[in-house]
Amino acid sequence: MNTVALAPPRKRRHLLRNSGFLALPLIILVWSVADPSLGRELLDWVPYLASGFMMNIVIALLAMTLGTLVGTLFGILELAPYRLVRYPVVAYVQVFRNAPHLVLIFATTYIFPFEIVVAGHYLPFPDWVKAVIGLAIPASAYVAEITRGAIQSIPTTQWEAAKGLGFSQGQALRWIILPQCLRRSLPPWMNLFASITMGTALASLVGVHELLHAATDASTAVRRLDFTIVAYLVVMAAFFMLCYPISRLTRRLEGRFNAA
Amino acid sequence: MPSMKLATMTSAFALSIFSLMATQASADATLDRIKGRGALTVGVILSGAPFGYIDPKTQEQKGFNIDIAKALAEDLGVKLETVTVTPPNRVQFLQQGKVDLLIANMQYTEDRAKVLDYVPTAYDRAGGAAVVRKDSGLKDWADLKGKPVCVSQGSNYTQPLIEEYGAVVKALPSQPESLLALQGGNCVAAVHVGATVGLLLEDRPEDWKDYAIPFPTELIPSDSVIWLRKGEKDTQTALDNSVKKLHASGKLLEFAKSNRLLNTKFLEEQQKALSASK
Amino acid sequence: MQDMNLSDLFVSLTSRIGLNYEFLATGYESQIWRDGFVTTLYLVALLIPVSLIFGLLFAACLTSGKLWLSSPVRGFVELTRNTPTLVQLMFSFLVLNTFVSNLVGGAQNNPLTPFFWVVAVVGLHIAALHAEAIRAGIEAVPASTIEAARGIGFSQFQILRYVEVPLAFRASLPAIVNNLINLVKLTTVGNAIAVSEITYASIMVWTQRDNVVSLMIAILLFFSIINLIVARIGLWVERKLAVPGYGI
Repeated sequence: MNTVALAPPRKRRHLLRNSGFLALPLIILVWSVADPSLGRELLDWVPYLASGFMMNIVIALLAMTLGTLVGTLFGILELAPYRLVRYPVVAYVQVFRNAPHLVLIFATTYIFPFEIVVAGHYLPFPDWVKAVIGLAIPASAYVAEITRGAIQSIPTTQWEAAKGLGFSQGQALRWIILPQCLRRSLPPWMNLFASITMGTALASLVGVHELLHAATDASTAVRRLDFTIVAYLVVMAAFFMLCYPISRLTRRLEGRFNAA
Repeated sequence: MPSMKLATMTSAFALSIFSLMATQASADATLDRIKGRGALTVGVILSGAPFGYIDPKTQEQKGFNIDIAKALAEDLGVKLETVTVTPPNRVQFLQQGKVDLLIANMQYTEDRAKVLDYVPTAYDRAGGAAVVRKDSGLKDWADLKGKPVCVSQGSNYTQPLIEEYGAVVKALPSQPESLLALQGGNCVAAVHVGATVGLLLEDRPEDWKDYAIPFPTELIPSDSVIWLRKGEKDTQTALDNSVKKLHASGKLLEFAKSNRLLNTKFLEEQQKALSASK
Repeated sequence: MQDMNLSDLFVSLTSRIGLNYEFLATGYESQIWRDGFVTTLYLVALLIPVSLIFGLLFAACLTSGKLWLSSPVRGFVELTRNTPTLVQLMFSFLVLNTFVSNLVGGAQNNPLTPFFWVVAVVGLHIAALHAEAIRAGIEAVPASTIEAARGIGFSQFQILRYVEVPLAFRASLPAIVNNLINLVKLTTVGNAIAVSEITYASIMVWTQRDNVVSLMIAILLFFSIINLIVARIGLWVERKLAVPGYGI
């Protein structure tokens, strides 16, 4: 197989990929134009659906931030030389990596209180925050595994070399090991990001006002079969337009790092 | 497998922390809180007209349940906050204290009365109606034996359908999914609160031309009541007075008519009875 | 009789540590819950072979080099990877299913059940992930190995059969096991369309009672155990198939 033979299909594939990216929105657009009463109905609901999708994005971003912070710490602790530290962390990672996201969202929604008392003040603890925690728990377990894998992939000799240069263990981790880990763990981290983003749709099942829930509200109010179908297409298109670029970028990064 | 034992221990541990935090949440008497915060938090269900739905123009909640909630808040002299609930989560939300009360298409049942308290004066009476295909040949509830029937998760029709009529119940997250499942042929009937499906069939004759509500009786017709957490007597008394006032003044009947409830007989009777007793 | 006593014992023991499994002593709720465990196990047992077979099929299409074969599969893979499985499931069950009903001339002729749609949506979703893993494995087979095989007179098919597939399978095994663990977790979305797996069964119980914590502990343990078993079997296969001289 030489590159000359590959060139034309690759170009064609590129075209196919980009047209595929726009296929869902196009279907929605064509349908709305073909049936103007449907299009008008949909247009009325766009702001409501958009506010739902913002919620998905907010939940995903916060869950990933929280999950990454906790997960990185746990990943390092998984390699701690003390059993008393290591065992609980390993158990946490095992249980929550294996637990269905949906079950964790159910658990946090129904088990956490709706408000917490901090120094005599009642702070509300809304559902979407519980969904953030419900998704941050598995995210942290995955990030811990990614971090541990990345640290272990750095040859031991580098630790020794750092020691030889007078770095303490903490300094070596901060200045030599972690920067390299960052690069190695970026692609799996981005995969996780896409997966958590899609997981936010599960929050609809506990009544969080996100896109899928908004779409159900809309189809309940409109009560038209064709509108229901379009509403689901809109939900799919929205997630696809968000996640597909992420996964393309991830693959490009993976390719570059593998080549390096 | 040591890791399995560890896994067992940690999950039990984690969950016991959850439950500890949960018990902390039970606040003081609901009525004090409502007055203290100046707001009444009501769990309402958006299962469609006439009870509750979103208006696309204003994106506000509308419907019979919402009107009642507004009137109650007005009567208590506080402002209204609504929380959308679904059949699978409404009891949890009430138990957690996320909402003060539920006006959510929940009829009185003995089982519910064991875990929750309720306002004795009902705001409506409702039973389940079964939407079926016209050509299905189903004539009465007993014909559902051994057949798949769609309901909402957490519906109070589940138990009678299974235990009395031997139906195979399929519970979907909410009413629209259940009705779509009926249209897709995944069940022979969808059983929901009579007024909602009745109005749906009337308003959307095109989509529903092959379907009807043929059974002569409603399933477990019972009082629609406002549900509260167990043991909140003050709130219960206050709300009972409010509901009685709404009946007597004819406001409930007015709400029912403006939201196009199909059967207002119960409300008319209540209005007569309660306005006469004054 | 013995079974009754055992469950009574369990209920009273757990109630002492503050957990509520009282529903086990009642009629249909305990039946639904027990069936929930069986349904989840049955789903997993059915989905693993389904996902593997379609995964191989998809991988074959993706690497065939024929655009008419690879581009539809590629399109499906991208769609299923980049949209939430829950939305796919709702769409299939509520929309595609209605189309099927119309095609076969009415809902009463439609043989497709919610169970079928869960198997189809989750199975094909995981199959797409398998296919990506296998494709990466095939592309990772060193060109020199294939040259060498060709050099000793292997035909194109023989190269595929004896060189590429065995090596690719080994290389993609960790990813496949990972996908299978995701598969086990994904079976829970079935509750949204009334497939009576364990989360659905638990919802049925906790909406009528107030014992979420007790049910959650049981579910989390159940999934931890299934996934531990899946991971162990995966590890065992990996060791069995390990090529001497590779890895540790």
